[in-house]
Amino acid sequence: MTVGPEVLLVDDSAADLDLTREGLRRSRQPFQVSVVMDGADAISFLRKQGKHAQAPEPDLIVLDLNLPRKDGREVLSELKKDLRLNRIPVVIFTTSQANSDVNQSYAQGANCYVTKPGNFPEYAAAVQSMADFWLSLAILPRKEMQ
Amino acid sequence: MPGIEGMKVEDAPARTKLRVLFVEDDPADVDLASCALQRSGIDPEYDVADSAESFTAHVQKSTYDVVLADYNLPSWNGMATVEILQREGLDIPVVLVSGALGETRAVECIKQGAADYVLKDHLLRLPDAIRRAVREKKLREDHRRLLEDLARSNRDLEQFAYVASHDLQEPLRMVAAYTQLLAERYQGKLDENADKYIHYAVDGATRMQRLVQDLLAFSRVGRRAAERRKVDCSVVLATALQNLQTAIEESGARIEHGDLPTVTAEGAELMQLFQNLVGNAIKFRGSDPPRIRVTAEKAGREWIFSVADNGLGIAPEHAEMIFVIFKRLHTRSEYPGNGIGLSICKKIVEQQGGRIWVESVPGQGATFRFSLPTKIRDAERNVS
Repeated sequence: MTVGPEVLLVDDSAADLDLTREGLRRSRQPFQVSVVMDGADAISFLRKQGKHAQAPEPDLIVLDLNLPRKDGREVLSELKKDLRLNRIPVVIFTTSQANSDVNQSYAQGANCYVTKPGNFPEYAAAVQSMADFWLSLAILPRKEMQ
Repeated sequence: MPGIEGMKVEDAPARTKLRVLFVEDDPADVDLASCALQRSGIDPEYDVADSAESFTAHVQKSTYDVVLADYNLPSWNGMATVEILQREGLDIPVVLVSGALGETRAVECIKQGAADYVLKDHLLRLPDAIRRAVREKKLREDHRRLLEDLARSNRDLEQFAYVASHDLQEPLRMVAAYTQLLAERYQGKLDENADKYIHYAVDGATRMQRLVQDLLAFSRVGRRAAERRKVDCSVVLATALQNLQTAIEESGARIEHGDLPTVTAEGAELMQLFQNLVGNAIKFRGSDPPRIRVTAEKAGREWIFSVADNGLGIAPEHAEMIFVIFKRLHTRSEYPGNGIGLSICKKIVEQQGGRIWVESVPGQGATFRFSLPTKIRDAERNVS
């Protein structure tokens, strides 16, 4: 049915989402991408609530920190406390370079923290190596057969 | 010209209303002083306090232009008013009115904060003493207000620079990223002009990003004053040189340093200071490989640091200008940079209570010197 792993992008900036998709396209792996643009929607998506009843279970979550409705930090802490969701690797992908954000994210269980580079070649390269590492090199948690 | 009998109009002094608080136990003395004031054109609206308690109650309840205090009261001393006013945080001039006070004691009172003193048998002098005390108080207030305004406007400006440079980064990142994406995807697919225009846009956006980042770095200096602690300058310099390693190797620079002290500073900023100064010495080198010497010596209550090079040097008329933000002496193609490095150095040094300057003979190198206090200021020490 679906080809390759499922990636969930959580970002409120359409421009950044396009850049991220552009970077993902350059990666060698086949995968599916879903997008939600605020934190509350991210939680509903992951819990398959409301309009997300048919949502796929992602293999990787790429999460921005500054999000409307529910902050990325809250999303992270909520899903790392959720026994069904806490195995899914979360890559924090944000403009924030603040030490407090980096440290707090790891403390809450983020699997990786990457800042969005300021220019396109580096941005695309960052996304590409992120995808190559997480979707190809790393072994992801095994999903239960449905 | 109509006038008051026996007096020319232009001689009649403008009458002044003053709120006066008398500290006095003898009503006759209050009357005498009050008359002396009225005769010279001052209409006092006054209250009388005869004890420390009633004085405190009066100054808490009402506002006064001046306190006229008898020095010799049976129950308390007129100088106690000065202490009470200081405790209450009130700046009201106190003029002591007394019988023989004696020069030594009079001087002592003024030292402790009384505005003036007037002898009771010389009340003619009282109005002028009061006018002067009130005028001085107004000057003090104006001065304080100016300083407060200046400090506030400085804070606002810093906050503005910080917020502006911080918030500009996001939209600018979009402009840069998408012009670069355009360049990458459509290079050679439009016409020659399109390629050139996209290149200009990419170049402009990239340069502006650099500027905004530098501005942000500049406005961040001093925001971490709370993180000041004792740092060993030789360790700090070693870190700075490590960061400059590529430039040092490429230029063949030889860098030596004398004994460097331990100072109280924010380590990352001090590192930036050394890095900028040594980095400049390498960048603005002459035809010979750079030779740079970093030293420090104690001069009174300061350490004077020197970073001396054998580079291009700086003409005396540029010695001040180079510390101004965005000022550059060379074109960007000769030497890259935004003209922000030295202004960051200046801000770092001044935030720590020091000064920075340059001594140079063009063609014979430059010596940048900066001072840092050997001890942190008392006010800061009390906090820690």
